[in-house]
Amino acid sequence: MRQKSAVLFTVFAMLAFVLIPTTSEAGDFAVGTTLENFSLPDTAGKTHSFNDLKGKNGAVIVFLSAQCPVVKAYNERVSQIAADYAAKGITFIGINSNSTESLDWVKSHAAENYKFPMLIDKGNVFADKLGATVTPEVYYFDAKNVLKYHGAIDNDRSGKAITDNYLRTAFDASLSGKPIAKTKANAFGCSIKRIAE
Amino acid sequence: MRVSIFTWTKASVKGWLFVLILSVAASAQRPTAPAPKSSVSRSAAPVVVKLVDEVAFKKLIVPNGKPLLINFWATWCDPCREEFPDLVKLDNEYKGKIDFITVSLDDPEDIAVAVPKFLALMKAEMPAYLLKTADESAVISSVSKDWQGGMPFTVLFNEKGETKYFRQGKVVLETLRVELTKLTPPAIP
Repeated sequence: MRQKSAVLFTVFAMLAFVLIPTTSEAGDFAVGTTLENFSLPDTAGKTHSFNDLKGKNGAVIVFLSAQCPVVKAYNERVSQIAADYAAKGITFIGINSNSTESLDWVKSHAAENYKFPMLIDKGNVFADKLGATVTPEVYYFDAKNVLKYHGAIDNDRSGKAITDNYLRTAFDASLSGKPIAKTKANAFGCSIKRIAE
Repeated sequence: MRVSIFTWTKASVKGWLFVLILSVAASAQRPTAPAPKSSVSRSAAPVVVKLVDEVAFKKLIVPNGKPLLINFWATWCDPCREEFPDLVKLDNEYKGKIDFITVSLDDPEDIAVAVPKFLALMKAEMPAYLLKTADESAVISSVSKDWQGGMPFTVLFNEKGETKYFRQGKVVLETLRVELTKLTPPAIP
């Protein structure tokens, strides 16, 4: 009888372990993780691979939106950072994962605001893979595709009172071979509009 | 004759001026009628949105003897606006049983028009705040480890300050209602 109870308890415990929902860690792409090469089409339909687009010192993947006011507030800063670090071997790759934004809209917005390529993440598959949730949100990968920094570009969306330039600081530390002090900062912005939301 | 017409006109002007002054004085002294207690009059009342800095904000997010529901939103955020009627509904259902505040992350200059205008349109009566911060990342961390920075964000704390519900994106009304009901058991007669 005692043996039967023990077996039943074990079965219930195993079932509970399988069935009880836990906080999902899926898509939480942690700093230190290596990104496998991937390919996505740009706004003209031409496919690009990450390894082809990245610079000699890595690349930044920045999730953007054509309509988000927070992205709008960051447009100039993003372009300036991209220009400043292109010469230092770090390139920018824009990604639009919003299911609510038409290709024409994304295309014209990108053409007006950025010199770097804008890739289309149809079905937000890539955003899910990285666990990206807002725009703007950045992922900085080094030359070996290792994630070095994830999150906000800086600590003030208005740009009027920036005290921490998270992304620039991460670049500078990495380029000088020093450890990055702050590898993650919460990005604030518009939720990525996923399919079936 | 010309003199008499002039005199009559002058007297007429003086008379009308006197009547005008009397009527203005009378209306100024007239007691204001008490506002009728209808929902229409409540929605017509001006919405007050308080500007808070990070120091004041930290005090706001601490429960004060009741469960505390906080909604972070902005007028520029489509899903924030879309879910607002549900939030107003919940506020009406749980009024007095919980504290419910809304925190706008609009630009501070929007405190004058855009934010109160939207809240008035929604007939929202929850205490409304607009957070002025130069460090959104720090604010996000201080509210919840589960907030990834997207809007809207809604969090429910019990009276001890423990998180009982959170949602980045539009709230699921029924799910939140279940959690609110758990925290607000009916009084035993």
